[in-house]
Order: sequence, then C-alpha cells, then structure tokens
Amino acid sequence: MLLTLLTHQWKADVRSSVFQKGLALNIIMGLLILYFGGIFLFLGFNIDDILLKVFPSQDPVAVFNGGMLYYFLMDLFFRFMLQEMPVLAVQPYLHLPVGKNRLVHFVLVKSVFSFLNVLPLLFMVPFMVSAVVPAYGAGVASVWLLALVALTLFNNFVLLYFKRQLAAKPLYTLAFGVVVSAVMLLDYFDLLSLNVASRAAFGQLLLQPWLVAVPLLLVAVAYTFNFRFLKEHTYPEELQVRKATKVSGSNIAFLSRFGEIGKLIELELKLIWRNKRPKSTLVMSAFILFYGVIFYKEPYMDGYAMLIFVGLMMTGMAMFSYGQFVPGWQSTHFDALLTQRISIYQFLKAKYWMFLAVTLFAYLITLPYGLLGYKILIINTVALLYNIGVNVFIIFYFSAYNTSRLDLSRGSAFNWQGVGASKFVMMLPLIIIPLLIYMPFGLMDVPYVGLATIGGLGLLGLIFQKQLLQWSARWFMKHKYKLATGFRQSE
Amino acid sequence: MLTVKDLQKVYNGTVVVNIPELTIYAGEAIGLVGNNGAGKTTLFRLVLDLIRPTKGEVYAKDVNVAKSEDWKAYTGSHLDEGFLIDYLTAEEYFKFIGDLHGLSDGDITERLLPFVDLFNDEILNQRKYIRDFSKGNQKKIGIAAAALSNPELLILDEPFANLDPSSQIRLKNLLRHLRDQKRMTMLISSHDLSHVIEVCERILILEKGQLVQDMQTNENTLRELETYFTV
Repeated sequence: MLLTLLTHQWKADVRSSVFQKGLALNIIMGLLILYFGGIFLFLGFNIDDILLKVFPSQDPVAVFNGGMLYYFLMDLFFRFMLQEMPVLAVQPYLHLPVGKNRLVHFVLVKSVFSFLNVLPLLFMVPFMVSAVVPAYGAGVASVWLLALVALTLFNNFVLLYFKRQLAAKPLYTLAFGVVVSAVMLLDYFDLLSLNVASRAAFGQLLLQPWLVAVPLLLVAVAYTFNFRFLKEHTYPEELQVRKATKVSGSNIAFLSRFGEIGKLIELELKLIWRNKRPKSTLVMSAFILFYGVIFYKEPYMDGYAMLIFVGLMMTGMAMFSYGQFVPGWQSTHFDALLTQRISIYQFLKAKYWMFLAVTLFAYLITLPYGLLGYKILIINTVALLYNIGVNVFIIFYFSAYNTSRLDLSRGSAFNWQGVGASKFVMMLPLIIIPLLIYMPFGLMDVPYVGLATIGGLGLLGLIFQKQLLQWSARWFMKHKYKLATGFRQSE
Repeated sequence: MLTVKDLQKVYNGTVVVNIPELTIYAGEAIGLVGNNGAGKTTLFRLVLDLIRPTKGEVYAKDVNVAKSEDWKAYTGSHLDEGFLIDYLTAEEYFKFIGDLHGLSDGDITERLLPFVDLFNDEILNQRKYIRDFSKGNQKKIGIAAAALSNPELLILDEPFANLDPSSQIRLKNLLRHLRDQKRMTMLISSHDLSHVIEVCERILILEKGQLVQDMQTNENTLRELETYFTV
C-alpha cells in the first residue's frame, strides 16, 4: 500500500504540468541540476585535497568533522526557507479505506525523498570513499556515513515538526529558532566552540562506531513526534499550514480619489497583499537592494558598466520580477476584467503608475548609497529614468506573450509555474539594451555622455508616456484573445 | 446506519452546523436540501470525518467515525474535486479505488457497465488526466468511483450540478437503480428539488445549520418544498 501511494507521488511529480509545458525550461532545469550535482560531486572527491592545502598539518577527516555541526545548522536554516510541507496530498485518500496510520507514514516517508536530503549524499559519499575509507576502513566509514544520513533525516523531521507547529503554536517554533540562534551567537563570540564539539562528537564516532545509535535514536524520536502529531491532526483544515486567513488590508481611501485608475491600483495592491506568490515575489526582490553592499567597492567602483547594471537591478527589480508575469497575476479573473467597464488602456495605466511608484521608492531607499560617491547617485538616477521611461514599456510589450495561468497561492521560491522561455528572453533586453547603449561611449572614454544618453531615453519615454501607453494598449488588445484563452486553461 | 448526536461545528463564533439528533436507517435514501450556506457540505464533511466537530459525534453502525476507520470500508463518497487524484487518468483512478476494495480488473469493468450511458463515451479511453476533464465529467468520475465498491452508504454532494440535462436524467435513473437493486443507503444533497424527490424517500431541510424539517416523500412534497423555499 505504501508503495502504491509512493508510485502515485511519482506520477504526480512526473505528470505535473510544470514538466509537461516548456521543453526549454526542462533543459535549463536539467542543466542546473547537472551543474550543481557536478559541483557537489567534484567537491566530494576533492575536498580532502583542498582541506589538506588549507589546513596542511591537520587530518582532513577531522577538519571535515569539525565543520559538520555548522553544516547541519545551516541545513536547518535552508530547510526552514525551502522545505515544503508535503501534506495536502493526502486529501484524496482520506475518505477511502486507507488507514490513517498508513497515510501518515506515507506523508513522512515521502518527505525523505526531497532534494535537500539527496543532495548532501552527493558529496558525503565521495568524501567517504576518498578520505574516510582509507583512514578508518570500510566498516567504520559506512557507520560514519550512516550517522550523517541519520542526522540529515533528523533535521528533516525536526523541521517538519516545528514548521507544522508554526500555525498552531508559534511560540514553540520561535523558541526553537531562538535556541538555534543562541548557539550560533555563542559560537560567534567564542563562548562555545561548535568546531571543537563537532570534532569531538564525530571523532568519537569513528573510534567507537556503536555511537551511531545516538543519531539513529534521534531520527526515531523525531519521526515518532511527527507521527503522533499528524495522526492527531489528519483533518485537511488542520493540516494546512496556512489557515483560511482573515480579510486583511482595508480600503485605501486616498487612492479612490484617482477614479478608475485608483480603484484598479487598489485592487492590485489587495491582490499582492492577500496572495502568497505576488507577496513573496516582492519580498524576494527587496533583497536585491543589498546588491550595493556587495558591488559598491573596488574594483567595481572604477568602471561604469557594472554600476549601471547594479543601478538598474536595484531600482527596477520589484518591477522586473512582478512585471515579468503581467498580466498573469489577473489570470484567474481575466475574463471578468475583459467584460467589465475597464479599458485596456486604464488597466495598463494603473500598472504603469504602480511600477513608477515602486521604482521611485526603491530609488529613494537606495539613495544613501550615494554617500559612497556622487557617481553612484548619478548612475542610479539614470537607471531610475531608464526603468520608468523605457523598461516599463518593454515589459508591457512582452506581457502580451504571458499566456500561462498563475496559481497565486503558492510561494515563488523554486516555483516554475508560468515561467517559460519567454521570461528569460524578456529579462535580457531590460538589462542588456542599456548596457549596449552605453558600450560605445564607454569605449570612446566619454562615460558621462553615455549616461546622459541612457537617462535621456528614459526622459523621452516619460514625456511621451501617454502615446506609449496607448500604443501598449493597442498591442495588448491585439493579443487579448490569446491571453484569455491561455488563462482559461487551468494548469 | 448513521446516528448523529449533539453535533456542532463552529467557525469563528458562527455556528455552521447544529444537529442535536438525527438517525438514518439502513436502505434509506435521504435528500438534503437547503440554500447556500445552510451547512450541507459541512455536515457531509463531519460525517466523513474530514473536519473535527466542535461538539458531538457521528456514529456509523454505532461506531464513532472519528475514533475508528471501519466506516471507510462500506462508505463511498464524492463531495468535490478534492476527492479525485487529479494527476491520474480516469482508468487509473478507478483501478486504484478498485484495488482498495479488492476488486479485480474484471469486477471494475463490470461495475462500470451501468455507468456507460452516463459516461457518454467521454470518460474512458480518453488518454487524459482527471484534471483536464470538464467539471461535469470530473463529477461523473467521482460519482462512479464512489459507487464502484457497491458501498452500503453512498454520500454525494450536489451530484446533479454541472451535468447536462441528459446526464442528470441518466444519473437520476442510475441512483434509483442503485437504491432499489443494491439497497444502498444514500445521503444526497441537491439544489434541484424535483430530482432529489424522485431519488430520495426522505427529505431533510437544513437552514443555517439547523434541521428544520424531516419529511417522507409523497405526491405533495414538491409543492411543500417549493412553498418552503419561496421567499
């Protein structure tokens, strides 16, 4: 039975519409997997040599062991961000004669096959073969590996448990987070050395292999906790991590003064605020604001091209990442929009003003970077002008090709729904065209003329925004049937 | 067959279902009618142990459905698309349900025979996943899967919704056939008063979570119901 359920899971993954849509996307995904898999494998086989070079006098296995606790703590963090709750999949089985125990086992066993659990094996196994086996023998080495796998799974189940508690008992999860951070801080201030503890623990394991019982016991305990908790809560409404949320975000009074456009903007703000995917898209683009911390130093500060790139990204990222799916955000009610008394021109104009506002906002937030040099200030202003004068319309142009429906309730991390080849094509001109415009001026060594040209184009776009918007609306009109048809195909 | 005792479900302070007492006898076909928000689907979910009651219990064959899972063996149900495994084909889904009840492939084919008319050549051998079927066809798949095991208790939420007129009539005959031939106990909700009267011999009216009327079907029932629902 468990096997049948697992084959269903396999079918669900293989048949998921994401895989069946874009060939280009699959190829890119495949290449990414190969690339990262390759890096991990390479690291695994060579890490002992690398460690020997960095810490010449020390045993690479001991150094590796010393890093393990850090690794497992980081692992917990990444899991918190990325790991999904494999839960709702049981809904179609609840009314069937399948025992609850089985379903709960299924949910838990299923979580083991996540890439977060498989990926570490790619470097642990080669390291074991190339470093641990020669030093300690195959038997002890496999026990060592078993302990690492057990700890990986322990992390897996511990996190599932706490993430699930997040909805019911947030304090539990908070306490857990505080403990983990406290350990990290203690280590940072040298009050407690994770390195030493980690070395001692895993070193002992190599000397006394029976200690592997400890991590195995930990896994068993974590599994049991999960099992008990899930068994008690096999009701769909309780399993959902996100409960039916209360209505949030009230009417924004001042927007209604702007007539139809104001109402459309208000509608869109509610859409963003009340749905997971647009919200997380925006939150993620906020991280780009920290690009400056990375790039505003030598050697980048000498050139211009890199800084233009950073400026475009920082001021425009929210617009780029949200705009690349326009009008897919409205895909579930696109027909409704088309039949209402709203013209496409108004629809796009509302978007235009939103993009303008958010880009300006990002510009204002990144203004303090200007303290690092007036050059940054000039470049960011140029980037701002170009983004709201030219890039907006490039986004509108490409939006006519976004015919895939979006499910707004899912997060945006690793969510490939609605991501097609056109997305990659579209992101390029947003960044590359301004750089190409700049290039000849850069080569002729008149950078400020180049900047003025980019900014000037942006200004032209601002001046002729009405005409450009009308043109965008006509372009959009031409494609509206194709868009509406695409949106009607769920998944 | 089914006994409901002191059942209550409260969401954010609003009582959605409140049924002090209800008994359904084996072989009865019960029609549940009521306006939107009356709590029909919530009641079904409570009976199927899909939501936790705020108070009270549901007993199937004198066993609390929340405590034991025995009821699953003799209950077939379809409430909404959430009951379907949408990435399977219709055949794969029937096979899966059949396997759960120990049916052979032959059994499954045979038990689907009465559904051939209803399916109208649009369900089987289509080479597509359930998620790609229309709402009406998904409903047909769900109903067939629920009835596949010849359950003693059949629970259907709005089986006539989304179906075309011919399918509605075929389904009506099919349900009557199941009731008369297999002596299935049925619990069916519907907004279509005439259909539900033709299929069911006992009608329950639900309003704001309360059971307001419990009547046996006779020639006057339709008129009574229409009077009741005329505002």
